[in-house]
Amino acid sequence: MTAWRARLAVLLPLVGAGLLAVSAGAVQPAQAQLPPPGAAQAQVEAGRQLYLVACTSCHGARGEGGERGPTLVGAGAASAHYYLSTGRMPLNQTGVQPQRKPPIYSEGEIEELTAYVASLGPGPSQPHIDVSQGDLAEGYELFSNNCASCHSSAGIGGALGHAIYAPGLKPASTSQIAEAVRVGPGAMPVFGPETIDDHQLESIVRYVVYLKNPDDRGGYGLGHLGPLPEGFVAWVVGLMAMLGVARWIGTRD
Amino acid sequence: MTESDADSVVEPGAEPVPASSDRATERNIAVSLVVSTLAALGLAMVYIGGGQAQAEGALLMVALGGLGVAVILWARLLVPGPEITDERGETGSPAEDAEAVEQNIEETLDDAPGEMGRRSVLRLFWVALGSLGLAALFPIRSLGPSPGRTLLTTAWKEGLRLIDQEGRLVRVDTLVVGGTLTVFPEGAEKAADAQAVLVRVAPGLIRPRPGREDWAPEGNIAYSKVCTHVGCPVGLYQEDSHELVCPCHQSTFDVLDGARPRFGPATRALPQLALDVDRDGFLVARGDFDQPVGPGFWNLG
Repeated sequence: MTAWRARLAVLLPLVGAGLLAVSAGAVQPAQAQLPPPGAAQAQVEAGRQLYLVACTSCHGARGEGGERGPTLVGAGAASAHYYLSTGRMPLNQTGVQPQRKPPIYSEGEIEELTAYVASLGPGPSQPHIDVSQGDLAEGYELFSNNCASCHSSAGIGGALGHAIYAPGLKPASTSQIAEAVRVGPGAMPVFGPETIDDHQLESIVRYVVYLKNPDDRGGYGLGHLGPLPEGFVAWVVGLMAMLGVARWIGTRD
Repeated sequence: MTESDADSVVEPGAEPVPASSDRATERNIAVSLVVSTLAALGLAMVYIGGGQAQAEGALLMVALGGLGVAVILWARLLVPGPEITDERGETGSPAEDAEAVEQNIEETLDDAPGEMGRRSVLRLFWVALGSLGLAALFPIRSLGPSPGRTLLTTAWKEGLRLIDQEGRLVRVDTLVVGGTLTVFPEGAEKAADAQAVLVRVAPGLIRPRPGREDWAPEGNIAYSKVCTHVGCPVGLYQEDSHELVCPCHQSTFDVLDGARPRFGPATRALPQLALDVDRDGFLVARGDFDQPVGPGFWNLG
């Protein structure tokens, strides 16, 4: 090989490696939330103060997690806002599925804590949902294909294995629904933007909102539980009434 | 009723129903029939006017109920009482007739001209009927085509790309870790037995069976969605315990362990689809499932 070819053979891989390092650093996942700029630093700091009071015993002093709680690095604003606004965090009982309850933090405090958790590392950001842009029919299709198997076709929830349940969707706000889809809390699978894009998410949210007050053509919805209560009403109420009428017909004077 | 007056019983002290009660009852019957008519007309008008389920139900109840009430009132109050009981006399033929018939039958069966006798002819009768029954088994067997090999294979072939329910192709990074998707073979979207559930797990968690180490590129692992118990779609994915649960009878399959059943009535693991990534980054199948899909059948082997 000539001299300049030999030098190239050494230089080229170095330059290539350098370019690779620069590009890898520059590429962020599309949903990642970068640490907020200096103006919102106060909010992060306030969140950190709240965090130090109530969260370190399970999640660690810097969100690294431990034996009693998972790491919050990479959880993102969506996860934090979902868990805090539904009151599932702080847990009232470990070892069982986190349950929805009235949140102990005010909305401002939830925002501060969300900002702090988001600053711990890049993770899913809070989805921006305009429910009026959703397509109800598309939402029905997507909900039936992806969600109804666990949450039931009327969104009233259902039992899963290992003493876990899929909760009913009636108390959920639009932001909580969207966040849950993107975060996949607990046993729920994660639906990223490649499987359900933002417009489809709006449709699903719109359909879930509709399910809170569906058009019950048959009159009383019976809790939307399905054939079990319907059969109960038919057998107990209907058949008893018919038995009463039959008795009256056959009574002798 | 027989004509033997000695057996008829009329309740002592029975009286015909008084006339004024007849008129009141007739009026009630007329009222209920008129109400029933009005309800039927109302039902027609509600239906024509667009319909309202609860009103239609109520009107139908009144229409049919009015007819029923009218008939019952008529039967109970207008039809004259009292009840008359007529005892049933003795049934059955007199004894000597019965004996005569019995003897006649015996003679017919045994004592006959010819060598065989009626009893042997009766036996031949049974033999003929039985042969006809046996012969009928063969055309019954011919009902319907044999499934052939259709139970053993699905539409999946080597090189077919995965598509989701909307027909979009699935890339290797379409799913995030923890995501799930129902996939079909490209070109055979309607094949119900080819439906598969694609799950993405963190790659290091999978415990592949020998020879299947490269069946799940980057943690994308695909199993048949048809439950091996009775065939319901196994759509419930529990992400934290990496299990697929069937909603019908709660068969639970461990995704990390080749979809072996961990709970519930299923005894066979869900068949797995070997995946590969093509040049453009799309997920493709490497062939059919490793086992026939769905519930077991008698020649599954």
